[in-house]
Amino acid sequence: MTNRSTTHATFVIEREYKAAPAKVFAAFANPASKAKWFVGPEEWDKSNHNLDFRIGGKESVSGGPPGGVVHSYDGEIWDIVENERIVISYQMHLDKQRISVSLGTTEIKPNGAGAKLIYTEQGAYLDGYDDAGERERGTQGLFDQLETFLSK
Amino acid sequence: MTTTTHGSFIIERRYDASPERVFAAWADPQAKRAWFAEGEGWDIRSYELDFREGGAEKSAFRVAGGNNPFPPETTFSNETVFNEIIRNERIIYTYSMARDGIRFSVSLASVELHAADKGTRLILTEHGAFFEGGDGIKMREQGWQELLTKLEEYLSKEA
Repeated sequence: MTNRSTTHATFVIEREYKAAPAKVFAAFANPASKAKWFVGPEEWDKSNHNLDFRIGGKESVSGGPPGGVVHSYDGEIWDIVENERIVISYQMHLDKQRISVSLGTTEIKPNGAGAKLIYTEQGAYLDGYDDAGERERGTQGLFDQLETFLSK
Repeated sequence: MTTTTHGSFIIERRYDASPERVFAAWADPQAKRAWFAEGEGWDIRSYELDFREGGAEKSAFRVAGGNNPFPPETTFSNETVFNEIIRNERIIYTYSMARDGIRFSVSLASVELHAADKGTRLILTEHGAFFEGGDGIKMREQGWQELLTKLEEYLSKEA
């Protein structure tokens, strides 16, 4: 046997955006839009972001610090309700090591003139390479980048 | 408006069978069909299993009498994609359930197998997102309790 471990956790992030639900949804649905904010930090090398936005469609992006470990995201879309809900199952790899498999639900609700986004991630974090705290911090960073994108 | 609820459950079972045999009951299409798909009160319309990472399992089953709480002819379908397979140790998969073609849940589950007392300790952890009209986490856990009992019966018959 190896040092396998499977740690499960759930976290929820809520954000309020000034943009209307349709605009927030479009930032997830439009490949050119999502590629602007769903990427690693500025200083990372980036590979192309690919998104086939339909149920059963795939999404991928990878990157990392120059010369460092490559972080790869591979997702599959399981549910789409226009302007309301997107469910994606995704895996993360560090180089070739799979570190997690997660289910992420993005809910978008009207909130005055803007939108409230509720993201729930339920995940299996594997073999000690990652944990939910680290993932939540990373995801918060992505939603910061989404806010910047929406305000432009 | 859509509504989404989230929940999780963990089920632990001990089987009088080696991890290799328990794993095979998940990996072999005939074996999996026997305990996972076949059941009283259900008419299996289709079942296919492509057990490899990225492979799919698809089944459709229709209410056919018995103690079934659903109206006759109701058809449920299940679509699974295997995210990770580590032989005899761990299986991780994502699946959706639909009733008459309308998806009502998406789940992520891991099955861990550990050698224990000449048998196997199985730990099933499932996370679910349940949509409007969905069954919810309690019914899903109950369903998996029943399935894991059917797996036990399958393993004891096959021994």
